[in-house]
Amino acid sequence: MSAPNRDVMQGTLDMLVLKAVSIEPMHGWGITQRLHQITKDVLQVNPGSLYPALERLQDRRWIAAEWGTTENSRRAKYYHITATGRRQLGQEQESWHRIVAAVNAVLRTT
Amino acid sequence: MRWITIALRRLRAFIRRADLERDMSDELRLHLELEARHREQRGLDPADAKRAALLTFGGMDAVKEAYRDARGVRPLDDLAQDVRYGLRSLRASPAFTLAVVLTLALGIGANTAIFSVVHGVLLRALPYADADRIAVVWETDRDSGTDREDASVPDYFDFVARSRAFAALAAVVDGPLNRTSTGGEPERITGARVTANIFAALGVTPRLGRGFLASDDVPGGAHVAIVSDRYWRTRLGGIAGVLGQTLRLDDSSYTIIGVLPPDVRFPSAETDVWAPMQLTATSGPRSRHFIHVVGRLRPGVTMAAASAEMGAIAGRLESEYPRDNKARGTNVESLTDVMVGGVRKTLVLMLGAVGLVLLIACANAASLLLARLASRSREVAVRAALGATRRRLAQQFFVESLMLTLGASALGVLIARGGLSLLLSLAPPGLPRREQIALDWPVLAATLAVSVVVAMAFGLLPALTGGGAPGESLQGSNRGGTASREHRRFRGGLVVAEVALSLVLAIAAGLLVKSFTRVRAVDPGFKAEHLLTLRYQLPSSRYPQSFSNFPAGWSKIFGFQRDVLGRVGALPGVRSVALAANDPLASGFTNGFVIEGREQQSAKGQAEMATRPVSADYFATAGIPLLRGRGYLPTDDASAPNVLIINEAAAKQYWADQNPIGHRLRFWGTWREIVGVVGNERFAGLTAPAAPAMYPVMTQTPMSTASLLVRTAGDPHAVLASVRRELREVDPGVAPFGVQTMEEALSDAMGQQRFTATLLGGFAAVALVLALVGIYGVVSYSVAQRTREIGIRVALGATTRNVIGDVLGQGLKLAIAGSALGVIGALGAGRLLGSQLFGVTPTDPVTFVVSVAAILAVAIIGSYLPARRAATVQAIVALRTD
Repeated sequence: MSAPNRDVMQGTLDMLVLKAVSIEPMHGWGITQRLHQITKDVLQVNPGSLYPALERLQDRRWIAAEWGTTENSRRAKYYHITATGRRQLGQEQESWHRIVAAVNAVLRTT
Repeated sequence: MRWITIALRRLRAFIRRADLERDMSDELRLHLELEARHREQRGLDPADAKRAALLTFGGMDAVKEAYRDARGVRPLDDLAQDVRYGLRSLRASPAFTLAVVLTLALGIGANTAIFSVVHGVLLRALPYADADRIAVVWETDRDSGTDREDASVPDYFDFVARSRAFAALAAVVDGPLNRTSTGGEPERITGARVTANIFAALGVTPRLGRGFLASDDVPGGAHVAIVSDRYWRTRLGGIAGVLGQTLRLDDSSYTIIGVLPPDVRFPSAETDVWAPMQLTATSGPRSRHFIHVVGRLRPGVTMAAASAEMGAIAGRLESEYPRDNKARGTNVESLTDVMVGGVRKTLVLMLGAVGLVLLIACANAASLLLARLASRSREVAVRAALGATRRRLAQQFFVESLMLTLGASALGVLIARGGLSLLLSLAPPGLPRREQIALDWPVLAATLAVSVVVAMAFGLLPALTGGGAPGESLQGSNRGGTASREHRRFRGGLVVAEVALSLVLAIAAGLLVKSFTRVRAVDPGFKAEHLLTLRYQLPSSRYPQSFSNFPAGWSKIFGFQRDVLGRVGALPGVRSVALAANDPLASGFTNGFVIEGREQQSAKGQAEMATRPVSADYFATAGIPLLRGRGYLPTDDASAPNVLIINEAAAKQYWADQNPIGHRLRFWGTWREIVGVVGNERFAGLTAPAAPAMYPVMTQTPMSTASLLVRTAGDPHAVLASVRRELREVDPGVAPFGVQTMEEALSDAMGQQRFTATLLGGFAAVALVLALVGIYGVVSYSVAQRTREIGIRVALGATTRNVIGDVLGQGLKLAIAGSALGVIGALGAGRLLGSQLFGVTPTDPVTFVVSVAAILAVAIIGSYLPARRAATVQAIVALRTD
């Protein structure tokens, strides 16, 4: 269905966003906030890369969007993961772990 | 799958882009506010929080731009922008836009009109299942050279019994019938007697009721009839209850058992009712040929195989019946060829001619586009410098030319609608499948396809001529004219091509017009003015017409003929009146004959002679001169010795320089003495040489269906009503048909020539106008480009004469080059025209010279106007331009 991402950074961002919306539907700011919290502000995601990534993921039907309201009754666009997205996320996590393990192995030998 | 999702999302995004734009703003604003509030909650004061939040965006517009790009509507947005830009720039130069659109619309419109005729007549399938499997079986006669003669009854039965190639081999005889309904006027209806398997042969099933059964088609079988969809709808109320009702046809009652599907027109376009033929092998002699044979090939059998088989059968019949079938063979043709073969050549010719018109129109439009492109090179350069990619520029040009051609197509379709009705009013009366001609979807699709191809060709022009290359244009080099030399040469080439194509059309039109005037000049042999003709058929139920019982059993018919001639002849305004088996221009039938003293020679087979039974006054009424001997007298009746009048061609052919008067000739079992020779009539059409013919007198020859010829003092139409009334008085059950004046008939006989000549004349006129515009455009553009140069030359002492001569020479040079090519093309085209020409050779020098002169005149006119302008160039003004 989809070619593996070559651009590691972009691919990584896609995976993180997928992971974030896999727990519950979230709006754009919520996603950045979630990533900041989890990574203790190590990973900064700015809107300039977040929103194009969200469009990209929708093109691939990994996530879908719906308009809803925030707790403060503001109109907001909520993104949620789809079944295909969940499968993709599983694959990406697996290959990410393999790469990390491999890279670690390389780094340990020196 | 994925590309469909994306495409749908893009499309939605494009269509709803205003909504999405708003959504995006909302979404980003919310993000900004939430971020600011978050920072506020962490202790920043509101203003700082807001600033910090904004900083995470880096720049709101950049984010939006990235967002939009990801949404992927760029190409569509660009397209919309190109369309808007194109519309603006086309509106900015209305003269150019109008010229291109009109030029192309003319070409596209003419093509659409002609193509709809070609499509309806030639391309659309006949309304029969597997129509290409239907064959017509003709008999041939090697002696007279005919290859499309109907079969005789016994021959047809032998064909059926002996052939294996056909799944069904059916017979048809068509002719007019009189339909009488209670209390109403008799009405003429075209009917056909058919064998029961005719609809199996055609592959047609009735839309209502049933077809004929074998049991209907036996002598003495039931009187049943099937009617056409058209007749059922227009005359019988279009109700299902029509089945079982009775039709009175020629005084017999027929029960309607079925209605055929729409579009079935067989054997003629007028046929409205079919009845079983109820034929036996002895229903007619082997020497009378009136059975039209149509068959459906058995699966797997080719037309060629069927033709070979029928040829072998005809060969055996020839040796079995040497007297009747001497020199006879068969000719198997597909039904489509028989129906449209006669006009195929003409229509293909028209399509070719109109294709040339489109090419000329394209050359013209291309030339205009190039001129515009040159004047836009600065604009292009600026856009390129501002970052437009080559692709983007090419797309812009393509969008513009697409808009031009689509506009032209829309206008062209309107032109085609008008053109088509004009075309149909001009079309020769014999044009088959006329009712199938329409400006319908397949035709419009073809038009659209042509437009897109044309637009693509134009879109490629800038690339071809290097117009898309921004290169040096910004330096303004086009003022000197060096950079556009490439353009000029290309446009010159276009004009040469245009002139050549126009000349081909002009010469073709000239040849056809000349042959039309030749056809008009043909003496038909009779005097057409003030001559009215109409036909009638006598129902055999009340008018016994058995050939074996002539003249004893024919008193009823003789009575009818006498009454009609007497009553109509006595009408005021009628000079004389006559009866004949056929109208003067109809070919009628031919007969074998034997000349006394040459029986041996005749028995060996001799060409048959056209035979037209007539009343005594026929020659005086039709205006045919008596050259020798005497005309028929009232005393030449059934009890008097049989006499005969022949025409000059027969006298020449069979008696050479002898006097034929007093010689005897036998046909239909009787010897007849030749008493007179009359002038030739054109039995086989105006363009064929006058054939030998004989005119037996109707009192000594059976004649039932006939034409009434009325020579009037004034307008022939004026007496029509009273002629009809007299006929009704004689017999209210006989419906006259085929009413026309002989002038109309003569004009119909020239229909084909007039059609091709008028059409090609029209195309040639359009082509010349386009060529004029083309030459004018190129020359005046080059004058505008050369203003400085001309100014310098004037400053250096060139006279007005020099300048005009120079510019005229430029136009003439192109025209002469084009003419040379055109003459070569016309020599080739003339060969294709050959069969359409009459009395003029395809290389007719006069036509060639006149056409070339016309083209050169057009070139001079086209160049003279810009030349005048060039001559008024003042040295100072010229040097100041730009």
